[in-house]
Amino acid sequence: MDPLILSRIQFGANISFHILFPAITIALGWVLLFFKLRYNATGDSAWMRAYFTWVKVFALSFAMGVVSGVTMSFQFGTNWPGYMETVGNIAGPLLAYEILTAFFLEAAFLGIMLFGFRRVSNRVHTLATVLVAGGTTLSAFWIIALNSWMQTPAGFEMRDGVAHATDWWAVVFNPSMPYRLVHMLLASGLTVSFLIAGLSALRYLYGDRSESMWKALRTGVFTAAILIPIQIFAGDQHGLNTLEHQPQKIAAMEANWNTGPNVPLVLFALPDEAASENRFELTIPDGASLILRHSAGGVVPGLNDYAGNHPPVFPVFWGFRIMVGTGLLMLAVSWSAAFFLKRRHSLPKPLALVMVPMALSGWLATLAGWYTTEIGRQPWLVTGVLRTADAVGPVAGSHVALSLAVYLILYVLLLVAYLSVLVHLALKAAKDGDTSPLPGVMNRPLSQPVAQPGETS
Amino acid sequence: MSFDWPTLLPLIFAGLMGFAILIYVILDGFDLGIGILFAAAEGTEQDTMIAAIGPFWDANETWLVLAVGLLLVAFPLAHGTILTALYIPVFVLLVGLILRGVAFDFRAKVPAGRKHRWNRIFFLGSIIASLAQGYMLGVYVLGLDVGPGGMAFGALVALCLAAAYAAMGAAWVIYKTEGDLQKKAVLWLRTTLVLTALGMVAVSLATPFASARIFDKWFVWPAMLYLSPLPILSAVLFLWLWRQTFHLPKPGDRHALLPFLTLAAIFTLGFAGLAWSFYPFVVPDRLTIWQAASAPESLAVILVGTAVVLPIIIFYSFFAYRVFAGKATDLTYD
Repeated sequence: MDPLILSRIQFGANISFHILFPAITIALGWVLLFFKLRYNATGDSAWMRAYFTWVKVFALSFAMGVVSGVTMSFQFGTNWPGYMETVGNIAGPLLAYEILTAFFLEAAFLGIMLFGFRRVSNRVHTLATVLVAGGTTLSAFWIIALNSWMQTPAGFEMRDGVAHATDWWAVVFNPSMPYRLVHMLLASGLTVSFLIAGLSALRYLYGDRSESMWKALRTGVFTAAILIPIQIFAGDQHGLNTLEHQPQKIAAMEANWNTGPNVPLVLFALPDEAASENRFELTIPDGASLILRHSAGGVVPGLNDYAGNHPPVFPVFWGFRIMVGTGLLMLAVSWSAAFFLKRRHSLPKPLALVMVPMALSGWLATLAGWYTTEIGRQPWLVTGVLRTADAVGPVAGSHVALSLAVYLILYVLLLVAYLSVLVHLALKAAKDGDTSPLPGVMNRPLSQPVAQPGETS
Repeated sequence: MSFDWPTLLPLIFAGLMGFAILIYVILDGFDLGIGILFAAAEGTEQDTMIAAIGPFWDANETWLVLAVGLLLVAFPLAHGTILTALYIPVFVLLVGLILRGVAFDFRAKVPAGRKHRWNRIFFLGSIIASLAQGYMLGVYVLGLDVGPGGMAFGALVALCLAAAYAAMGAAWVIYKTEGDLQKKAVLWLRTTLVLTALGMVAVSLATPFASARIFDKWFVWPAMLYLSPLPILSAVLFLWLWRQTFHLPKPGDRHALLPFLTLAAIFTLGFAGLAWSFYPFVVPDRLTIWQAASAPESLAVILVGTAVVLPIIIFYSFFAYRVFAGKATDLTYD
């Protein structure tokens, strides 16, 4: 068995599993802060109930993110030693700053945020929430900086086959970094808003009409409705940035084989790399030229210019379409739900039924987007600097096969357990409604009632 | 040895990495130990034990991420060599850490009937991670040699490190609980202490014989004289702690933290012995810290950040421990 392809599948599986949880925690931290601040401002305990329901989801997602993230930091060494040997001087400091400035911050204040409500003052508890939310976002900043540098490296020079930084500012704020960061932060916001909206819709379907359900539902739906058009715009800008810096990726995303003007937008096709053509094509004339160059005569790069040096077309083409399709679906669902909530102050049952599976739409779009951009970087690990095939370590294929098989089984089981706990928490919240005893009192941390049994962690 | 930056920086980073590993072993040591002791505890005791580590474990595990991060960042060549050689044990460690970490959260959130299953997974994850770490230490001491003899030695160290972690866990339970569970923990401590001592003796004996270089380093005059406080002090602390287990818990819960601090001191002494033996190598007898180090300018960039941030991290970690000081009560989100 080929250790290269197995190692790639393993890293792909690992990072796919991992990104699901940061995609939730990055934005959920801020949503929790919003709940907390609303409670501080209004004294309405329904906000705090929404907080306590979702802080459990945060805790679980955070733990899943930590354990899968630790796994990745080891895999750099176990499977990809060539990566750190070649670009360690760049990747190292970025990862180190992520651990030092973000990871510790989140981990240390998470305890206070989760369990400290009755141990510290309300102000310190709010501060802990701010620090955890800020930590997760800062974490995303460093990781996106590194990932973007791998896509569009800048601010370095090669000496004896090893990359050395010459301009750290250019390394961190490399050409694709601001676009990717905005795109990812918005993706996290959408993932969380649809998750909250979807699980609240589930509670709604189970007859829950409690104030905390409405508050969470409105927060999810309105956030989604606001973020999705911004995300469509940001995604478009990110695409134009990719066109400038990684034209071969755009060519694969559009399944365009020949460079030229008047390139159609391919809606559906089965790209065939051996024949350099698309089968069963369904196109809009001049569409790709219009989108990418804003004129029908705009020249769009084609794959044939990059023979042997472009990514595999099929997954990039389809990954992009799944992401965009999910995004359009998100637009339709969030805007209709927002309309009903705003104008009719109700939620039609069929719409609620659609919203429940849409709880995971953010995950789907995020994964499809990451597949597009990461497979789109191939055959390079670091564009123009290091090929993926040159970074793999001298580990026996059988060892990688074993670890890959166990990871896959573990990830599937954990994902099933995670999702069933989310549903369980939602149904439990639906059953409890707002009848459970009121949570804490502002700024009197020690005079708050003791929580109900079964809530221990 | 000249004292210019290219010489000093790798040395500083070796020191930082050693510090991170030591802090990890002490802090996550008691988390993992409590996981191991789960097998000997009952339902409500398990809840109290979890409450004793719940707010801390995440931050504790972060020290491992920092240690591996520093290895990755400061010594990329060594990172690749060590981790590819230890592919399977690292993999087993990660599976253990994954199971342990998620079981922590799942056991508190699943329907009551399934809690038992996650308790068992919590134990399994903790023991797997501990054994894997011990095995890796054993194989590393022997210079990453994985013949049958090396594996057997790795297995011995694995058992002893698991016992040492269990001892740390027991000591932490003594500090954080009271009543019957505390009394039980004293018995756990006494049992596991014996195995811990055995492990330290085994590693100490094997280390010089695994490597002629280390043998020469230990058994020459006057190095022997400088080194001798390490084993003597460790032995004294072991014996003293062993005697203490017959007097704990004391009236008014005096000295409840002392067993933990004593064990931490023993760990530090053992760690210092290892560091002394392997210096200046980061991969035993193959790569020195200077051969494996990153470019000085990259190290300098990280050092600036570390010098600023590490004291802050230590400060707020203390704050987090203070917030949850005292005996463990039920952990609640509200």
